[in-house]
Amino acid sequence: MRVGPAAVLRSEWTKLRTLRSTWWCTAVYLLVVGAFAWLAAATTHSAPTADAAVGVVLTGFAFGQVVLVVLGVLAVTAESATGMALASLVAVPRRTRLLAAKTAVVAGWAALTTALLVAACVLAARTLVAVPGGVSLTDPGVLRPAGLQVAGAVLVTVLAAGLGAVLRSTAGALGVGLALVIVAPPALALAGGRLASLLSRAMPALRVGEDAFLAVPTGWPMGLAVAGAWAAAAWVAGAVLLERRDV
Amino acid sequence: MIEVDGLTKRYRTRVAVEDVSFTVPPGRVTGFLGPNGSGKTTTMRCVLGLTRPTAGTATVLGVPYRQLDVPMRRVGALVDPRARHPGRTAYAHLLALAQSNGLPASRVDDVVDLVGLGAVAHERVRGFSLGMGQRLGIAAALLGDPEVLLLDEPVNGLDPEGIRWVRGLLRDLAVEGRTVLVSSHLMSEMEDTADHLVVLGRGRLLADVAMADLLGRGASVRVRSPRAPVLAAALHRAGAAVSPQPDGALRVDGLSAAAVGDVAFAAGVPVHELATVTASLEAAYLALTGEDVEYRAGAA
Repeated sequence: MRVGPAAVLRSEWTKLRTLRSTWWCTAVYLLVVGAFAWLAAATTHSAPTADAAVGVVLTGFAFGQVVLVVLGVLAVTAESATGMALASLVAVPRRTRLLAAKTAVVAGWAALTTALLVAACVLAARTLVAVPGGVSLTDPGVLRPAGLQVAGAVLVTVLAAGLGAVLRSTAGALGVGLALVIVAPPALALAGGRLASLLSRAMPALRVGEDAFLAVPTGWPMGLAVAGAWAAAAWVAGAVLLERRDV
Repeated sequence: MIEVDGLTKRYRTRVAVEDVSFTVPPGRVTGFLGPNGSGKTTTMRCVLGLTRPTAGTATVLGVPYRQLDVPMRRVGALVDPRARHPGRTAYAHLLALAQSNGLPASRVDDVVDLVGLGAVAHERVRGFSLGMGQRLGIAAALLGDPEVLLLDEPVNGLDPEGIRWVRGLLRDLAVEGRTVLVSSHLMSEMEDTADHLVVLGRGRLLADVAMADLLGRGASVRVRSPRAPVLAAALHRAGAAVSPQPDGALRVDGLSAAAVGDVAFAAGVPVHELATVTASLEAAYLALTGEDVEYRAGAA
């Protein structure tokens, strides 16, 4: 009798949905991003292009994504910072498989909720903002920021989960995670100078659609690559440490 | 079957387990004894792949635990009553564990009823007492109906009824042919449960003995005679160590009760009382571990 990765995924989904913190985080995420989108759309009478209109309504993600850091960190530290890790690793001794399933489930949840929010944002822009030619759902200028927002949400969540696995404490991982995505990029941008500006662009800054939020501007391919590299590095470091450490 | 071979675990400043080897066969309850800090938990965590040994190996059913594909169907473990998330309900906790090993949700209901947590299954674990935590841990260990069980201090925090229940459960599991390793720092908890004992002290193996042998080891003969000095001299000549007791009886070490009777008969001494006195398990255990207690209250 063998049990495949699907069993571990199902188990991780049960773990995620049976903690109150998951639902609090989800509620705050929906509320913050949704409220900002509605407010932005309602106060923006017109925009020259569809992508400009969408860019405005997605602003709420700049703050909402902070919740994804919390969600990703908690998915891992809910185990490592309580005794639960012992039970989980006795049940699933293949540790990288456990972390992969855990990350996939929480990142999947982040992707799903973000996709719903993005759809709501686009709908708000379509109905409340006057744009010449309207906001078409098949316009690349609409689809690209929408897709990037979902991709960014997944990467931020994976980065947070990786930090949780590396640091094992909720407070530590949250501190480092928030410093990396929301404190350091604008702080370095404000500091000015060549080095600080370079560093700001090398940070996994939160992004609103195609744009870096408050950080030194970078194009979206660069932003995606930087965030992807951070997420991959943090996750791999977390997996390696999880394999090697004593529980 | 659990096999531990030359297991050593060193931390930066101290040695937790040093060159410990023993085998736990199926069909009996093996008690794993030792004072606090003697290395029982470290050994069990090495067996379960939670802790990496510095040297030596530990296998379950012939393979390292971390290579088991569906471990819960083969091995059940209670590592720590706090091995749960306080914000989850007992039912959700067990369901997540069952799903990870492809076990049906009906097993959760089975074990919840078996350990007597039915009434609180849908309450958050945060409010559970230590004893309820132990029952939850035992439920998790039994989820996969495993052939090997490792339970670290399962009766710690249980009420007398719970202790009796665990004893019965362990006996039943062993009778069914399963391998049962159960740790404790109290000998009295083992008295009616274990068939065999593995004793640790300061990380070293002190004994790997059948319960009956350990009891026999500290046994002596108590004999009473109106002519005690004559009998003592005769026993001494027969090679026994004789010590007079405050109540006038003699304590004889090194001869069986039958041999003592024979010596008395040959010496023509009347015997008024003759009995084998087994040491209490507690005394036998203290004799074994007396010098190997890591944490001891200072002498005044």
